[in-house]
Amino acid sequence: MTGIEVGEARGATALGAAAVGAVSGGVAGGLLAVLRAIDGLGDGALLPVANRPLESVLHLVAAVGLGAAVGVLFRNGGGGAASTSGGLLAGLLWWMLGPLTLSPLLDGRGPTWSLADASAVFPSLVTALLVGGLGGALFAAVGPQVGRLPWLSRLVAPAVRSEPSRVVVLGGGFGGVATAQRLERRMLAGADLAVSLVSPSNSLLFTPMLAEVAGSALQPHHISAPIRATCPRTRFYRGEVTGIDVDRRLVHIEGTSAPLPYDHLVVALGSVPNYRDLPGLAEHSFTLKSLPDAVAIRNHVIAMLERADAETDATERRRQLTFVVAGGGFAGTETIAELFDLVHNARRYYPHIDPAELRFVLVHSGDRLLPEIGPELADFALQRLRRRGIEFLLGTRVGGASAEAMHLADGERIPTRTLVWTAGNQPHPALGRLPAERNRAGALVVDETLRSTTHPEVWAVGDCAQIPDPLTGGLHPPTAQHALREGKTLGDNIAAAVGGRPPKPFRFTPIGILVALGHRTAVAEIRGLRFSGLAAWVLWRGVYLSKLPGLEKKLRVLIDWTIDLLFPRDIVLAADPDERRIPEPAAPTAPMPPIAPGGRP
Amino acid sequence: MTTHLPTATTPAPPRGGSGRALATGALAGVVGGLAFGAAMLQLGLLPSIALLIRAESDAVGFAVHLLVAAFIGAGFGLLVDRHRPAADETLYWGMIYGATWWLLGAMTLLPLLSGQPLGWDAASARELFPALVGHLIYGLVTAGALLLAHDREEPIAIDRASLLRGAVAGLAAAALLGAVGGDAGSGPALSASMADRAAATNWGAALTLGLVAGLGYGALHPRARTGAGPGLIRGLVYGFAWWIVAALTFIPLLAGDELPWTADDAREGFASLPGYILFVGAAVALIHHWLTATGRALFGDDLSIVADEGLGTRGLRASGQGVIAGLVGGGLFTVVMARIGFLSTVADLVGGESVAIGVVVHLLISSVIGVVYGLLFVRRSHDAGSAIGWGVAYGVLWWLLGPLTLLPTLLGDGPQWTVAAATDAYPALIGHIAYGAALGAVFFRLERRRDPWWISRSEAEAARVERASRQLLSSAPGLWALTILIAVTIPILLGGPTP
Repeated sequence: MTGIEVGEARGATALGAAAVGAVSGGVAGGLLAVLRAIDGLGDGALLPVANRPLESVLHLVAAVGLGAAVGVLFRNGGGGAASTSGGLLAGLLWWMLGPLTLSPLLDGRGPTWSLADASAVFPSLVTALLVGGLGGALFAAVGPQVGRLPWLSRLVAPAVRSEPSRVVVLGGGFGGVATAQRLERRMLAGADLAVSLVSPSNSLLFTPMLAEVAGSALQPHHISAPIRATCPRTRFYRGEVTGIDVDRRLVHIEGTSAPLPYDHLVVALGSVPNYRDLPGLAEHSFTLKSLPDAVAIRNHVIAMLERADAETDATERRRQLTFVVAGGGFAGTETIAELFDLVHNARRYYPHIDPAELRFVLVHSGDRLLPEIGPELADFALQRLRRRGIEFLLGTRVGGASAEAMHLADGERIPTRTLVWTAGNQPHPALGRLPAERNRAGALVVDETLRSTTHPEVWAVGDCAQIPDPLTGGLHPPTAQHALREGKTLGDNIAAAVGGRPPKPFRFTPIGILVALGHRTAVAEIRGLRFSGLAAWVLWRGVYLSKLPGLEKKLRVLIDWTIDLLFPRDIVLAADPDERRIPEPAAPTAPMPPIAPGGRP
Repeated sequence: MTTHLPTATTPAPPRGGSGRALATGALAGVVGGLAFGAAMLQLGLLPSIALLIRAESDAVGFAVHLLVAAFIGAGFGLLVDRHRPAADETLYWGMIYGATWWLLGAMTLLPLLSGQPLGWDAASARELFPALVGHLIYGLVTAGALLLAHDREEPIAIDRASLLRGAVAGLAAAALLGAVGGDAGSGPALSASMADRAAATNWGAALTLGLVAGLGYGALHPRARTGAGPGLIRGLVYGFAWWIVAALTFIPLLAGDELPWTADDAREGFASLPGYILFVGAAVALIHHWLTATGRALFGDDLSIVADEGLGTRGLRASGQGVIAGLVGGGLFTVVMARIGFLSTVADLVGGESVAIGVVVHLLISSVIGVVYGLLFVRRSHDAGSAIGWGVAYGVLWWLLGPLTLLPTLLGDGPQWTVAAATDAYPALIGHIAYGAALGAVFFRLERRRDPWWISRSEAEAARVERASRQLLSSAPGLWALTILIAVTIPILLGGPTP
């Protein structure tokens, strides 16, 4: 039995309970009508109106409705006493709605809810209480008997559920989590689904803030939300996908003994860095795709400052104090800005580092920084960052990397111990195990409903999918805001497919673009409106804080930002930096001289 | 597959057989009947019972009354045996059972069997007000007797720490009652019989009553099982029970007066009713709950505290949901307020006069009250019925707190705990109940959207969810119905013209 069934299969269906309740209410209402007729009591109908024949009809209709309401509202109650009390409550509420409100409206007077009016319809209150209470008691008494009648129980009892459709989501990024959340909502609305999510990380990483973690402005865990908390109704499996068997519809997960079966497979594995087979890049560069990546960059940069502060060889020190980022898109621009802020904020602790020795370089193959935004804002960003002292090598391609330098395609070398690669991504390699149609880059080709063009039970969202955009005739770009919306549409589409309805095409026009430039500066383009400087920076923080999942995380990030405004950045090295990328100098070039009073050795 | 259609939680099978339950119930019913009968004797109501067998004497009436009391008590015995409520729940069930028999017996069957016309109009109901009080006393005494007579799986044990918390809560509530509801010259009057007593006497009586009520609450509710919100609603009914027992019964008897059970006499005693409900009931319940919860958090080793998701997460989410639900309920209430022209009075709270200001202030208040609801009732509803039940009972609480207490106090007039004020505020009562129903229903929908606790995610969770649902529900439907019944009928019974 799946989770959703355990709780919901407890009582009758709403329809069944309403039917039994309606009959109970009708019987109780009829009894009371007979009683009033025998007694000659003119007042006391459940919906008193001036027209007596109409009143009798309305009385019975109201009794049936009241009984149905008792059935629906109190079908999960605690036996006869609870149903009877629930009936009394429903009767009281009906009296307020019917005789006190609807009757004056039907008679054209309008309700006043005054004590005088309430006193005038007091007999209706007694009737409503008795119909409700009696109806509730009958409902409790008759219901179980109805449930035992096989021919009738089929009509009113919950249907024996078939096995729910199993949806397996691969990937815990924006697209995967948004899909799972939407499916959960559909499940709670009655869709017969069992959702599982597989991801090597047990948290959803809020990537727009990753550069700030690398810049030591935010604590790493504060920009991630546990998937178990964000998707509480999804069965979570932590591990890498080791295989996908589309014929037998099985997913193999690292570390689990049994494969995971599915009826619908959602591929949301995202992308991985693409080094374009350039020599030395994989070994000697950092990437910025995950929390460990960001922490590694932060630790490495601080470690470089520590070394440079003690380094006596000027060449090596220059190398250690040169920070290079490859890629001039969002990630690259935000990263170089954050590294700049981190280093300059921390250098007060390193008295032997001359600020003139610090060098920040961004290498970008395109002619223009930030090709995703308009030329004016991109130019603004370029000028602001240049003014701070960051060098930009535009129209320049990377040729490779070594432990001591980055090589440009034209043969030039930039001596550095720090290279961050943001210049290329490719779909997750696990997609290679899927026999579905893929494009040249390796992304799964889906139609506009996000369904694989070759395998109808396979769906894809996010960076690993090639999604047509019928509005532009092109493709949807691989951004977080697209992945989020794609996930929502995909959740609806899978629920539709399971329910036998046609899926709907994905349509989305981007709302805007925001890029943080450090130093309380940003550029933003929202619905055609352009912002820059402090206003854009405030906008950036406001928008992304609101998008960060979970109130607790929002609060933590807000506290981090406040601390960052008031205090210097933290330079504690909690773990050893990645030594792969920081080879020890071959040999000391000279004995360590005593520290001079002026600070320089 | 057998489907138990109406209920999720099938009542447990009777323990000692139906015969034993009927006999025990009948015996308890006789005890309740003796208490009710003694009052009827003093009020001269027994001949009306004797009419059932075409007689008129008190003795015959008393005998018939006891027979009926035994018969009805047997039914209650069966109910308790099937549902096995906890000690405190039994008393509340007793009250709703008594009130139901007032409707079914005194107002319907008695006139039918006596050949009289049905007394369903307001004037006849006013005449039968003593019978309503008597039936409530009957229900309480019968339930109490049943508690003592019944063999329970969980023996009733006195928790000394709970008694201490109850005593502190009772004394604090009595002090609050004196400060808010007491007259500066004469102190808090607990009954119409004490209206002309010295301030020291009234204060002494209030503190004594607070202490006794607090001890009683502590004895009945040793653990804060169902949360602050449900505890608060339970407190409303607990306070009303004390009004019946103390203000209308024991205090007049101790003062040597006749039982003030007629509608006219009770009308004079109405001034003390809001104080009983708000302070002797709701405040005692809330303070006791908070003391229990604080003690558990500071000194307890209860694993549930560690397992809780935390006040920050739960509280912030509940507050947000409460704002939305409060605004929806407030929107519905605005229709009533606009119709009765009450919005300018609300605007007066901020020194304004216009309807627009009134709407804004009203919606602000609605959202704040919605936040309080969210904090008190988070994870306390498990279906639409329970959500509406808690919501409407909460709406009644705010009718007492709002138009009868806080609003006049903020406007400089002090609490208006009079029948006339309650009569005037009757449309506001309907508005508050509508507000509560919408508040509860919308809050439930929002909780359901996020992560409905009542739908278990695994077999391991199912038993815990089922247990929590049963515990929450218990006498809750009876409490909801009784709260609304009291709120709706008392102003009509006491506020209308004397028959």
